[in-house]
Order: sequence, then structure tokens, then C-alpha cells
Amino acid sequence: MTAAAERGPGQGHPAPWLVPAVVVLALFYAVPVLDVFRLALSDATLIQTADGVSTAALRSILTDPALPQVLGTTLVFVAVNVVALQVIGLVIALTIVRGERRGLPGMAAFRTLVLAAWVVPGIANGLIWGMLFDEAPYGTLNSLLGFAGLGPVAWLSDPQMALVSAVIANLWQGTAFSMIVFYAARRGIDPVLYEVAELDAAGPWRTFRSITLPLMTTAIAVNSVLVSVQTLNTFDSILALTGGGPGRATEVLALFTFNTVFYNLDLAGGSVLAVMLFAIAMALALLIGWLGRPRGPA
Amino acid sequence: MKTCILAATVAIAPSLASAQDLVTRNRVGLPDAPNTLTFRLTSYDLYSSDPATREAFEALFSDFISDRPDWKIETQLQTGNIGQEQARLLQQTQAGRGPDCAMIDSSQLALFKDTGVLQPMNAVFSEDEVADLFPYVREAVTDANGNVLAWWWFTDLRVLYRDTSVVPEAPQTWDAVQSAALAAVEDGREGILFNAGRWEGTAFDWLANFWAQGGELLDEDGAVVFDQGDNREAFLNAVAYYKDLVESGAAPQRVTSITDYDAFNAAAAAGTAAMFVGGNWQYGQLRTTLPEEAFANWEVSELPGPTPDQRATGTGGWTIAALSDDPEKAALCGEIAKDIYAGPGNAAQGLLPTSAAIYDRYDTYDGTEYDLFAKALENGVARPGAAIYPEISNQIQILLGDVLSGSAEPEAALDAAAEAVRAAQSRQ
Repeated sequence: MTAAAERGPGQGHPAPWLVPAVVVLALFYAVPVLDVFRLALSDATLIQTADGVSTAALRSILTDPALPQVLGTTLVFVAVNVVALQVIGLVIALTIVRGERRGLPGMAAFRTLVLAAWVVPGIANGLIWGMLFDEAPYGTLNSLLGFAGLGPVAWLSDPQMALVSAVIANLWQGTAFSMIVFYAARRGIDPVLYEVAELDAAGPWRTFRSITLPLMTTAIAVNSVLVSVQTLNTFDSILALTGGGPGRATEVLALFTFNTVFYNLDLAGGSVLAVMLFAIAMALALLIGWLGRPRGPA
Repeated sequence: MKTCILAATVAIAPSLASAQDLVTRNRVGLPDAPNTLTFRLTSYDLYSSDPATREAFEALFSDFISDRPDWKIETQLQTGNIGQEQARLLQQTQAGRGPDCAMIDSSQLALFKDTGVLQPMNAVFSEDEVADLFPYVREAVTDANGNVLAWWWFTDLRVLYRDTSVVPEAPQTWDAVQSAALAAVEDGREGILFNAGRWEGTAFDWLANFWAQGGELLDEDGAVVFDQGDNREAFLNAVAYYKDLVESGAAPQRVTSITDYDAFNAAAAAGTAAMFVGGNWQYGQLRTTLPEEAFANWEVSELPGPTPDQRATGTGGWTIAALSDDPEKAALCGEIAKDIYAGPGNAAQGLLPTSAAIYDRYDTYDGTEYDLFAKALENGVARPGAAIYPEISNQIQILLGDVLSGSAEPEAALDAAAEAVRAAQSRQ
């Protein structure tokens, strides 16, 4: 047997192992992304192919009076969602772990129930919540509130409330993902640490602050990046729930991009917005990654 | 020889196979027919979820293909997302990957005409048949040289529905609508419902109020003029009509969240609405949805105008057009439109034909409601034949949402909308 044959996969040059992944990524990710950059610097529309290089679309989009409102709505939508997804996901994950540790029945069912929302397609999610938020006299949530002597609430017809409703719909669907990440991270923490904390008579809050939270920092950082990008790209559930209305009250950047391409037929403008989405997502990922970087002892 | 064998096979097909065997999920005809036509259609007829409609069209398609044994039709379904589907269809056609024949929404027809992808189907339609089309339909489907570039096989219109137990007399003016709606509110009903959420139905239904005053969105050269001169006044009047309805309580605030005609059917079924602005096709839906005695209370009337003499209604519908430059395929496409859809297809679904002769040909159109629809169609206005229309619609949706929810004043919102449309037009 030769020496080469005895070499393990990790001992040789990495290139052969990396080539397939690089090729697949280049073909199915980098090339389309580069094409979007090319279209952003063109005058392409849905009815006319690109004819040379132009910055007209870039100038047009950056000076669009609607852009500040759309960016503001996107900022609120993403910020509220990211914070809430983290908090609710973490609470549910820790609740399940605690329940499992105590042998409470129904924990697996609870976990499955939360996960069920995650597999619902965005459009279906929007339609489901659209029915629940229906403001007709027979609307589901308002009828329930009515039984309790509350409401009715203008879930979708009031501009501010419509954004809250869109956030609720997104949270319902997105929480499962955060829960999975945090559940896995929490299960990865050595139980001995909790036993030691118990021996030291540490309370639940102290245990959470000194053991759980520090050891889940990486998971929180990773999850923050993922849900930020995911929320930034959300448009299907909003399209089905409000269409971006009333007015532009719930029109986030991804939906604005969709509308620019399919209403204005402006492929170049849509590409500029897609590049903008890409840049914001990249900046968010880098920022969160930097904030959540492992820090050594002072 | 091969054709003869195929002809014989199809001739005895009834004894060998049912209509369903000739119609599969993606094909009409025998799989080994030598010639193929690709046809992109909506899911409302041949592949309808309504069994009666589906069976009627299966029979029509089976008869059609039995008479043409050397052809098979490969069918491609469109989703309900009209804007996206039609944009994709146009892109594919321009890239040479489109179907040979397709259903094109009437609102998008001008875009397809402008891009020159539609092929004439003159061989199929006689001059008399073209002359019998309603004027706005004839203008839309023909070009300056008289070529038939599409066949608009059914049209629709918007009308005012009312529960006569609450609103006995049909309101003829905007003021009468508000009075009747406020009286209905006092009776515990929602006075009047209409689309005002973020979707095409909102803009199109509302535009009837603008058109009733003679308003024009674009001038003859295609320039945006809806914010200028008399058009501006008409636009603001029409916005004020809706705004007053909401602010007075005649219409509930929730109209800004309505993005579907089904919401009106639901309200009618629940007995909570007194009036709504809906499509003519909803009459048949109400007939099948409501109990007989409840349905008897519902009547339709022409959309009210600012005065009884100023009326308009938006007209839509679907067309069928040839996208293949093969004359045989273009002719077959025209024959599908003529032999299956325009006439028997209309009657099977109760959809409004686009030529007067068809109304006389089928018993389906004997109902009194069709007299009203035919009368209202005299004031029918189609969407402007311009590529900028989808963005005009988008801006009107935004404007109405903002104004009716109190987020913007009409004048400022109109200026913003016009500016946005002009900016978009300059980019097209």
C-alpha cells in the first residue's frame, strides 16, 4: 500500500474537496448575483433587453420619494421581528428544555406544534392571518375580542396596526426557526455546569445570566444573522396579507422590489433594489458577526 | 397515411375512450398526433375546480380536437397572479420560449401589442364578426391595419349590488348612495363595501367614478394627464366620493383592507352588507351561495355617477392571442378562441360575450340581469392600452389607501402619484 493511499481526507490538499462546492455556489449563486449587478447598471425593463451601461436606474431609485418610507417600514419590521424572534424563540426553547428535564408530558407535541408553523409557506401564512385579522363583523379575532367585551381592532385597515399585524404573522411563522437553533444550543451545554450551579445554590436568573446566556452567545449571533436576512427578504406573507397597504404602510423593501419589477416593469430598478437588499443583509451579517465575536479575557 | 390512421382513431374515439381520455392535465388530443400547439390558459375553464364547468369545456375541447385529428394541444396553466404571469409570458415570448397561443388578460393586451409579439389571426375571423364586437373590444384587438391580433372572448363589468330589503331603490347618484348607505348603517348593516386595499381591483373599480366625469388617464400621445386640468378635478371629485363615504361612516374603515371580491360574497351571505361594488360574475356566485329567499333580495344596478347622466363602468375580461409566427398555429389558435371560448364557452359559464350576436344565440342570456349588464356595457370603459397602466393602477391603490386611512390629503397624494407614474414612464 502506498503512502498516498494511507493518507486521510483531511491530510491532502483541500482543493479537490472544495472544487465541487465552489462550482455549485458559483453556478447557482455567484452568477445570478453578478447578473443582478449587471442589470442594475443597465436600462433593462421587462419588455426591453439591456442596451449598454447606464446609471439611470440607480439615480431613479435613489431619488424615489417613496424609498425613505419603504426603508423606514423595513427598518421597523426587521428590528422588531429580529428582537422578538430572539426573545420568544429563546423563551420557548428554554421552556421545552426545562419541561423535558422535569419529564413533563407533551413537550414533544409542543415542539412539533411550534415547528408546524415553520413549514407553512409564506403566502399561506399571509392568507391564514388575513382570515384571522378580517375586520368584517364576523372576523375571527374581532369576534373573539367581542366576546370578551373588547375591540374591534382595525387590524389591517389602520396603517400602524397593519404593520403590527404583519409583524405578528411573521413572528408566528419565524419563531420556530429561532426555537430550533436555541434548543440545539441549549442542549449542547454540559449539564454538569447546571449541577454545579445548583450545588452553589444559584437561582434561575443567576444560572441563566452566568451559564446559559454566555454559552449561547455564538448561537444568538448566528441566529441573529439568519433571522435578520430572512426577515429582510420577507415579502410573500405581506403580499398575501396586505399587499403592502393600506397605502404603503406595510410595503417593505423586498415587496417594493417585487412591485418595481412587476408593476413598473423596471428590471434595472428592481435590480438596484435587489443589490440594496444584498448590501443591507451583508452589512447586517458583518455587524452582528462582529458584535457577537468571541472575546478573550481582558 | 399517418393522418388517415389518426383520423380513424379519433373517429372511433368515443367508443374507445371518453372525453377525459382526450383531455389530460397537460394535453388535449392524442399523444402521437403529428402537430403540436402549445396553449397557455387560465385555470377557470378546462381545468376549473368547478366540475360542471370543467366537464363542459372537456366536451368542447374533445369535439374540437376530434375534428382536427392531426393536432394535439399541449396545455400550460397560468397561476392567478396575473401581473407576474403575464410579465413572464411576455419575457418568454420575446426570448422565443413562449407558447404558440395564450390567454392574455385584457389589461395587458396593449403591452403585448406594443411589443409586436402578437401574430394576426385574420384568416379565422370575418369582417362581419369583427364588426359585431363591442367598439372598445374591436379597438383593443385590432391594429391600425385592421389585423386581428387577439380575440377578446369575454368581458366583464362592475355594477352596484344592493339588498333590496334594506335599499329598495337603486341609487343613481353618489349622494344617493351615501344617503342609502347611512340609512342602512342605522339598520345595523355595513352601508356600502368596495375594494380599497392594495390590489388591482381597487384601482379599476374606482376608475369608473373618474371615467364617469369624462376623466382621462393618458392623452392621445400616451402622456400622463390625470392630474391636469379637468382630469384633475374629476380625479379629486372621485377621491372625495370614496373619502366622504368612509368619513361619514357610510362605508366602514375596513374597505382599505379589502383585496378580494369574495369578501363581498361573504358579507352578502352573512347578511351584514347593504350594498357593494362588485363584478357582474358575482351575480351567479350569489345565486349559488345564498338561500333562494335571501338571493331574491339582491339586485344589481348600474354604478351611480355624480349625476344620473354621468355613468361609466370598468370593463375587463380575457383575450386569446397567437404568439407563434407559424400561420397554421396562429389559425388554430384563432379557431380555439372562436369555436370553444367565444360563444359556447361564454354560455357554459354565463360570462359576458363581446359581440351582440352571441347574446341572442344562447338561452343563458335570457335573464333580466343580462339586460342590465348589456345596458351598462354601453358605458363600458376599458383600461388604457398602455404599458404604464399597471403603475398608474399601483399609484391609485396607494393613493386611495393613504387618503381613506387618513394618512394623506387628496391633492398632495395626487401630485405624488402623478410624479411617480411619470418617473416610471420615463424609465420604460
